[in-house]
Amino acid sequence: MNLISSEFRKLAYQRSTYGLILAAVALSVVSTAFSPFAIVQLSGEINFPLSDPNNVDGIYSKALSAYILVVVIGVRFMSGEFSHHTAVSTFLTTPKRHRVLAAKLAVAAVAGAAVNLFATLVGMGTGWFALQLYPNVAAPHAHIFWDFALSAALTGAVLCVVGVGVGALIRNQNLATTASLIWLFLVDRILAVIWVDGGKYLPSGLVTSLMNLTLSVSDKTTSLTINTSDYLPPLPAALILVGYAVVFSGLAWVSTLRRDIE
Amino acid sequence: MNPIEFQGLTKRYKRLVAVDSLTASIQKGRITGFLGPNGSGKSTSLRCLLGLASPTAGTALVNGMRYAELDHPLSTIGAVLDNGGFNPALTGLQNLKVICTAASIPDARAEEFLQLVDLESAMHRRTKGYSLGMKQRLSLAAALLGDPGILILDEPTNGLDPIGIAWLRNFLRGLADSGTTILISSHQLAEMQHAIDDVLVIDKGTLIADGTLAEVTGGQSLEEAFFRLVGGAK
Repeated sequence: MNLISSEFRKLAYQRSTYGLILAAVALSVVSTAFSPFAIVQLSGEINFPLSDPNNVDGIYSKALSAYILVVVIGVRFMSGEFSHHTAVSTFLTTPKRHRVLAAKLAVAAVAGAAVNLFATLVGMGTGWFALQLYPNVAAPHAHIFWDFALSAALTGAVLCVVGVGVGALIRNQNLATTASLIWLFLVDRILAVIWVDGGKYLPSGLVTSLMNLTLSVSDKTTSLTINTSDYLPPLPAALILVGYAVVFSGLAWVSTLRRDIE
Repeated sequence: MNPIEFQGLTKRYKRLVAVDSLTASIQKGRITGFLGPNGSGKSTSLRCLLGLASPTAGTALVNGMRYAELDHPLSTIGAVLDNGGFNPALTGLQNLKVICTAASIPDARAEEFLQLVDLESAMHRRTKGYSLGMKQRLSLAAALLGDPGILILDEPTNGLDPIGIAWLRNFLRGLADSGTTILISSHQLAEMQHAIDDVLVIDKGTLIADGTLAEVTGGQSLEEAFFRLVGGAK
């Protein structure tokens, strides 16, 4: 318990943690607030009427965009130990490294779940206000509140743990942060759209699966189509997402327990 | 049983032998200087002792145990290492509180020791703005948090002004007189001559001298003896 409190203090004392929480909320708010506007502006190119409850669910789903920044919290939480050499005092205080790592992973999971849930709820509230500005908007399905809240908590927990794993592997904090952002903002999202067969197993594809959406969107100019029926059902998606957490925890375990600490 | 024992300690990095079969004991309640040129293996030996690096062969023991086996490491041994180990985004007090929490030490001890090392007025400042000397004092405060019976200090006078160096010397002597075992690695030979009781000299990873200050210097100054032993220019 002392180690968990100590690891929590490391996270809570850092101003950058609060900056990332604010950024996560802002990303969620902007994504949901901007989506109805963008859809109306693009109404000639895509068929996405807001009178369809499934499409309104899709607007609210943008509130889960914050997970990208939750990963960064995990990355900085771990890589900071090596970039600032605090791993020295950490492991002098607790030489049984597996205990430190277990505490760090537990704190990352709880913090990631809390931050992503908070950002998602704020984003969904923003989406509700934004949708009031448009006529003939359908009400969302009642189940999405719980589906999205659970998805946000699970996604936040898993991806913050993944961030810790990345931070253990790439010990340069800036490099680890940049690599994670490039992967999640660009590569992962592009793959999830253009290569659905493989992309549905990547984080953004799995997050889409978790939300249990029923969406089919076609771009008339590029013939690009997003159809959520191509994605996995929520339960297998959740299990694979947890698998990511297990794999990255294992990588963090192996790399942290064996290496000399500089 | 001596507080610190190196028994055939060897550390290799690929082809480089950083420490080669180091065998030495540090006596209880004595201040021992651990001397050697840059790259001689001093810091690597200390890192092996503190569980931060794995020996290729041999052992480095604290009270007869490997560091990782100690139940309360901070109450057994405190260390000031050369690379600080503090988060620059946290204040001095916050950095110590993180350590206190992990080691089950009351937070009040952090403020107490920051006062002791004269960092009371800077405890709420982020360590990013600390001078080298302030970081050294903070490291010393962290090393003392658990009231350890053994202290390891790697270049503890780096960045300290003459007043700070004199304070540290008297402070360490007081600790040694009360039974604390102290191992200091330093290049400040003139300063070390006034501070230490025993000497270990290591060069190219190999122990080349081990004894009391009088035995190792043989009537010379520590600096003269050091250059004689390592083949320096003096």
